[in-house]
Amino acid sequence: MLQREVLLGITGKDFVIVAASKAIMRGPTIIKAQDDKTRQLNRHTMMAFSGEAGDTVQFAEFIQANVQLYSMRNDSELSPSAVANFVRGELASSLRSRSPYTVNLLLGGMDPHTQQPHLYWIDYLASLARVPYAAHGYYCLSLLDKHHNPEIDLAQGMKLLEMCTDELKRRLPIDYKGVLVKIITKDGVKEADFDNDKIVRSA
Amino acid sequence: MVGKDCVAIACDLRLGMQALTISNNFPKIFNYAPSTYLGLTGLATDVNTVSDLFRYKVNMYRLREERHISPQTLANLVSSSLYEKRFGPFFVSPVIAGINHTTGKPFICGFDSIGCIDFAKDFIVSGTASDQLFGTCEGLWEPDLGPEDLFETISQALLSAVDRDALSGWGAQVYIIEKDKVTQRLLKGRQD
Amino acid sequence: MDKLVAQYSRPSHQNDFYTEEEQTDMTGSLPPLSLKFALPPVANPSAFLRAMTDDHSNPSCPIKLAHGTTTLAFRFQGGIIVCTDSRATAGNWIASQTVKKVIPVSRLSRGEDKPSNDPTPGLLGTMAGGAADCQYWLRYLSQQCTLHEIRHKRRITVAAASKILANLTYAYKGYGLSMGTMLAGVTPQEGPALYYIDSDGTRLPGNLFCVGSGQTFAYGVLDANYRYDLSEKEALDLGRRAILAAMHRDAYSGGFINCYHVTEAGWVHHGFDDMNPIFWKTKLESGEFSNVTSEL
Repeated sequence: MLQREVLLGITGKDFVIVAASKAIMRGPTIIKAQDDKTRQLNRHTMMAFSGEAGDTVQFAEFIQANVQLYSMRNDSELSPSAVANFVRGELASSLRSRSPYTVNLLLGGMDPHTQQPHLYWIDYLASLARVPYAAHGYYCLSLLDKHHNPEIDLAQGMKLLEMCTDELKRRLPIDYKGVLVKIITKDGVKEADFDNDKIVRSA
Repeated sequence: MVGKDCVAIACDLRLGMQALTISNNFPKIFNYAPSTYLGLTGLATDVNTVSDLFRYKVNMYRLREERHISPQTLANLVSSSLYEKRFGPFFVSPVIAGINHTTGKPFICGFDSIGCIDFAKDFIVSGTASDQLFGTCEGLWEPDLGPEDLFETISQALLSAVDRDALSGWGAQVYIIEKDKVTQRLLKGRQD
Repeated sequence: MDKLVAQYSRPSHQNDFYTEEEQTDMTGSLPPLSLKFALPPVANPSAFLRAMTDDHSNPSCPIKLAHGTTTLAFRFQGGIIVCTDSRATAGNWIASQTVKKVIPVSRLSRGEDKPSNDPTPGLLGTMAGGAADCQYWLRYLSQQCTLHEIRHKRRITVAAASKILANLTYAYKGYGLSMGTMLAGVTPQEGPALYYIDSDGTRLPGNLFCVGSGQTFAYGVLDANYRYDLSEKEALDLGRRAILAAMHRDAYSGGFINCYHVTEAGWVHHGFDDMNPIFWKTKLESGEFSNVTSEL
């Protein structure tokens, strides 16, 4: 299966970076080049998604609505691990239904109480794993293995992300139209500026 | 694996999609009572689902009965819960290890994915390296091992087996369960 | 002045370089393959073979070939680095952890690993895909290269050697050969030369290749730190680190890191080292691989 979408996540000392490719492809065409494949779930958690057309946004917004409903009813925010397990549960029950959601997810968040960064890798089979960095794809994991450590600050994190996107530009046989970058800190989720126009030369 | 007044249970730490290793910190052994442990191998999503399901069921059992679940009871619970999904099974093969606090006797058993219980007096294996594990366990295990010897035996058996299996390894966890003590150890296995 | 004298006192044919056409002529005029391979007595031998051996589409296929690899080679200012892992798998079974996936394509008598620190003249080939296919055809290539040396009184160029191999794989296209190989060598005519040849008949010159199931992981590490002006030590370390990354993430790569450096004098072996101690040293000393737990 040719990978056509990019999801990346990197945690550091006091932040989580989540990046998702901007292109939406249908058959041979890129029908949108500025898409946002992320949804904010509550103040400190967000989710990036890829997978089957239609399923992705439907599932993400269903989760978003339910997480927000929980916050309203209970007047408290779900922690990232609670959200992750809720998402996994929903995806797992859909897996054995008549029409399962085919979505791969990265879920990032800052725990508002412990101030710890959390990143969860969830695939369409609803396997859940907490990881220090994640990618739905091959090229970046080895690179992050080499250059990541849990104590990095935000600038180093962005540098790392740039190394990853450089490698994808070099080796992925498709143009994914750059990535949209979101940063989660204790102050919430915000979109970050990221230079997607850098030209990368192959060796 | 059964020893003298003790049992051991061990698992590797890999979570992978075919050839790709996603995580190297994915323990597959779950604790349900002071000396009752359940190991789950198979499809990762079902490892998650099944372990959550039994956490719920065992918690309900403990609240209703006001006592801890025994390994034998858990075995029957696992068996009937798996058979409930006879026509759309969970893709897991569980292993139970524990000590029954009433009798003080060690207990181990394994299951297929639809709940057939496999009782054993020596050892139970499951997972992608089970063929290799049968070999190493047959070769290394002997009756009435003490806790320390049992730890050495189960560790060597597991590490040797996963070193011949491409899809498992990347470190291991071992629990040595005695009547009133549980020791948990991390094995630094080969990282390839 | 000395340089000029040296240039003219060498035999005149030393620096000649064959054009691509001449090379094709030469390799084309080799005696036709008298290698008679028995084919299974069925209507469509290649489809039959594929059905029996293709582990990917049919996991219960009766014949399991050794597969799964990470190999890499890259050119840099000091020559060419060639690194491989050493695992052979048949399905999920690890058949061997000590495969030598770098095959010297030298004069046959000198190709054996003699304990010597001097460079051994000749080219290096790497092995990915079917182990038997690679071993056999690189051995055949050694034979052809040796014959070339005897006939023409000079070493074969990497371009010509790779062409022999590519013509061969192309001749057997569709018969189910499975090989992805790199040929590396430094010749006076070409300088450092690196070619990628596979069983589809592809033949590509290039600076940097990774081949095998772990290629993506190796590319990830290699691309980020590769420069043409790496020093010899930096280049060897980078090659080793890229293989280590692939061994860690790819289930079908692992075992020992095998490293070679190719220069004009020939190739030098730089160790066949178990990855596990190297891994833990890398993790604990440089803080890499932070996803691996080392404490409870």
